[in-house]
Amino acid sequence: MIRDPDAMRYPVAAAPGHGPGLAIFARAWAKAVTGTSYLPVTPAQLEEYLEGLTLRLVEALYEEPFSLRRGYQIGSDLVAAHIASAEGLGRTIEVIDLRLLRDLGLSGDDLRDRMARLLGTVAIGYARALRDRTLDEQESIRRAAMMAREQAEHALRESEARFRHQATHDPLTNLPNRALFTERLAAVFERDGGSERRLGVCFVDLDGFKMVNDTLGHHAGDVLLTSIADKLRRGAGDHLVARMGGDEFVILVEDTTCTDDVLKVADAALAAVSEPSTVDGQELRVSASIGIVERPVAGTTPSEVMRAADITLHWAKSSGKSRWALFDPERNERELTRYALSSAMPAALERGEFCLDYQPLVSLADGRLLGVEALVRWRHPQLGVLRPDKFIGLAEETGLIVRLGGWVLAEACRQARHWVGLSPKAPFVSVNLAVRQVRAPGLVKEVTRLLREHDLPPGRLQLEITESAMMHGADESVDSLRSLADLGVRIAIDDFGTGYSNLSYLRTLPVCELKVAGSFVEGLRAPGSLTDERILATLVSLAHTLDLTVTAEGVETAAQADRLRAIGCDAAQGWHFGLPMPPSHVDSLL
Amino acid sequence: MRRPDWAPETIDIDRPSAARMYDYFLGGSHNFAVDREAAQAMIAAVPETPLIAQANRAFLRRTVRFLVDAGVRQFLDIGSGIPTVGNVHEIAQSVAPESTVAYVDIDPVAVGHSREILGGNERAVAIQADVRDPDRILDHPDVLKLIDFGQPVALMIVAVMHFVRDEDRPTEIVARLRSALAPGSYLALSQASGEGRTSTEWHEANAVYQRTDRQLHNRGRDEIARLFDGFVLVEPGVVWVPEWRPDSPHAVEEAERSVYIGGVGRLG
Repeated sequence: MIRDPDAMRYPVAAAPGHGPGLAIFARAWAKAVTGTSYLPVTPAQLEEYLEGLTLRLVEALYEEPFSLRRGYQIGSDLVAAHIASAEGLGRTIEVIDLRLLRDLGLSGDDLRDRMARLLGTVAIGYARALRDRTLDEQESIRRAAMMAREQAEHALRESEARFRHQATHDPLTNLPNRALFTERLAAVFERDGGSERRLGVCFVDLDGFKMVNDTLGHHAGDVLLTSIADKLRRGAGDHLVARMGGDEFVILVEDTTCTDDVLKVADAALAAVSEPSTVDGQELRVSASIGIVERPVAGTTPSEVMRAADITLHWAKSSGKSRWALFDPERNERELTRYALSSAMPAALERGEFCLDYQPLVSLADGRLLGVEALVRWRHPQLGVLRPDKFIGLAEETGLIVRLGGWVLAEACRQARHWVGLSPKAPFVSVNLAVRQVRAPGLVKEVTRLLREHDLPPGRLQLEITESAMMHGADESVDSLRSLADLGVRIAIDDFGTGYSNLSYLRTLPVCELKVAGSFVEGLRAPGSLTDERILATLVSLAHTLDLTVTAEGVETAAQADRLRAIGCDAAQGWHFGLPMPPSHVDSLL
Repeated sequence: MRRPDWAPETIDIDRPSAARMYDYFLGGSHNFAVDREAAQAMIAAVPETPLIAQANRAFLRRTVRFLVDAGVRQFLDIGSGIPTVGNVHEIAQSVAPESTVAYVDIDPVAVGHSREILGGNERAVAIQADVRDPDRILDHPDVLKLIDFGQPVALMIVAVMHFVRDEDRPTEIVARLRSALAPGSYLALSQASGEGRTSTEWHEANAVYQRTDRQLHNRGRDEIARLFDGFVLVEPGVVWVPEWRPDSPHAVEEAERSVYIGGVGRLG
C-alpha cells in the first residue's frame, strides 16, 4: 500500500533520444492495466509513474553485465503501485514485449534475448511481491477479525456484568436489591457448615419517611434515601445491606455466634441513620426502627426469617419507633392467637357464637335483687367459652365492637323484657357501652327502637359507661346521654375511682349511679387498713350528696359486704352475691 | 426485534461481509473464503462488478481531492469499510496533512482493521456505529475529539445508503446528520441505483447479497437526489459516478453501466 501518493511520481531521468515514444508507450501501458485493480491515482499520475518504470526497463535491457535484480525490483514496484493482479501482470508483459522496443525505437544485438530474460525477472519479482502482499493482507484481516471477536466477547462479558449489576442492584442507592438479598440469604441456607451455624437479619425501616416525601417532595425523599443508604453501608461494615424497596432496608449478618452480634449491628445502624443528612441544603435528621431476628440456620427457612423480621419491625414501630425490637417467639405465638381470634370474630357474631351471662346487683340494705349486669361470652368452637377480656380489646381494635355491642344491647333488652313479663320484681339489666358506641351517632335512636320493640320500661335498662368515655366524649356524646337519661334510661359510671374521678361532670351529667371499682373493695379485706374504707366512705357520702346511688364491685366476702353496708353503700356485686350466670338461673331467683 | 442495548454486535466471519467483498472487488486480499465465494457469485451475475467498485472508489478519491481543494479539513466517512488502498485520510493528508478523518463502520472487523491501519495516526480514528443511529455517531467522544462541528465538515456517505432500507428513513438519517453540520460543510454521497441494468442482473445481485450481512436497497436517481435535500449540489450534480469531475475524458465511456450514482452538495 502506498501511504503517500507522491511516491507515485517516480523521478523521470532525462532520457534524451527517447522522444515522444516514451509517452506513447507509457500511455499504452497505463491503458492496459487500468481496471485490472483499483489504482488510487489519476490517469496522468499513472502514466507519469509508468514512464519512470519504462526508463528503468530500458536501463535494465542495456545493462552490462545483465542483472536479475533490476527486473525483480521493477516487478515488485508495480505491485507496490497497486498494479497488483494477475491481469495486471499479464497485460504488462504483453504490452512491454509487443511495444517497448518498437515505440522507443530501440535496437541491439541480443535485445530479444535480453527482453525475454528481463520479462522473466519482472514476472518473478511481481509474483513474489504479490504473494507477499496477499499473505500480509490475509494476516492483517485475520488479526482484525480476531481482535474484533475478542473485543466483542469482552464487551459481551462487560455488558453481562453490567446487566447482572442492574438486575441485582437498586438504581437509586446502588445498594443490592431484594433479588440479590434473597439470593444471598438462600445461599446461607445452602452452604455447608453443619447445624451449628446461626444467622441474623435486621429489617430497617425509616420512621416518618412518608412525611419527608409529602412535605419536601419526592426528589428530597430520594436524596435522603441515598444518604441513608450510604450511612447504613458504612454503619453495617462488611455485612450485606440491601434496599428492599421504599424506605425499607435489610442487613444480613452471617455466621453470628449469639444474639449480641446482631444487636451490635442494629445499634450501629440506628446510630448511622440518626446522623444528620443534608437534603437540598437543609439538615434532616431521621430515625429508624429495626426488627431483628437471630437464630440457628437449622430448623428455619429464609421466608420464616423474613416474616419474623417483618413482624418484629412492627413491634419496634408500635412500641415507639427509633429503636430495635428482637423477635420473641412467645409473643409471636400470642399475637398469632389474637390475630386468629380477631379475624374469626365477625363470622362468629353471624353464627351466634356469642351469648350473655348475667351477674346479680344486690341491695345491701335488704338483699333484694336490684339488677343484673350483662356480661358477654364467646362460645368458641375450639377454645371453649371465652371471657370478654380475651376478645373485647380485639373487637375495639378492629371496630367490630360497635356491631358486637349492638348485639349485646339488643339481646340484653330482649332478656330484660322477658324478666319484666315474669315478675314485678324483675331486675334492671345493666349493659356496658364501649366508647365507640357512646360516640356513635345512632345510639339514642337504637336504644329508643329497642325499648319500643320490646315494650321495655326505660328504667329496666342501665347503660354503664367508663369515666374515659365521659371525659373525652364530644358534646354529641353528652347530648346522647342526656337524651337517654330523659327517656328514663339509667346511666352508671363504671369503674369509678380508677380513672380521673373527675367530680365536675357528676354535677352536670345525667348520671344516676356510680360503680366503684373492685380494687377499693379489695382493700376492705385487710383488717386495720382503713385508708380504702375511708375513701369508700367519702365516695359514698359524696355520691349521696349528689343524689347518686353507689354499687360496689368485686365483693367477695361477707365481711366486705358488712363493712360496705356500714359505710352506707347502696348495692354490691361480686362472687359473694352471685357469679355471672345464664339467664335461666336468673329466672329462678325471681 | 432489535438487539438489546446491552448486547454488543457479535462477530460472524462465517457469513460473507459486504465490506470484505468490496475489498475483493477492488483487488484486495483482506477477505475470507466465504467473502470471495459470494464476490465471485456477484461477478458471475454482473461481470463488471470489479470495475463498478473501482469507479465508485475513484469517485471517492476525486471527491476528497475536490473537498480538500475547497478548503475542508475535517472528514466524517460513514461506511468506510475495509481500509484498502486509497483511503480518505491518505488522500486528504497527502495534500493537507492537518486534515482529520473519523471513519465509521458497522462491521466490527472492518473497524478493527481500520484501527490497525491507522495505528499511530493521531488525526484519524475509527469507530463502530450504525448509520441508522446518527446521534450515536455525532455524540461519539472519539468523533468529537477530531471533528469540530462548529467548522465545515465533509460528510462522506459513499456506497452505503443502498444497505439502508426505506423503513429506516434514509432521508431523515441524512437530515439528522446535516443538522449537526456548520455552513460550508459538504455531503459526498453515492449509492447503487436501480438503473442501467437488466432486472435479471438485479435479481441475481440481490440474491447474492441476501446471503451476506447486508441486503441491497437500490434507489433511482430522483430518490438519490432527494438525499441531498438541504444541500446545494456542485457541478455536475447527481450523476453516474464516472461522470463526476472525471480525471480524463475517456474515463466516462459507458458511464451508464456503472450502477453507482452520486454527487457532492454544499451546505449554506
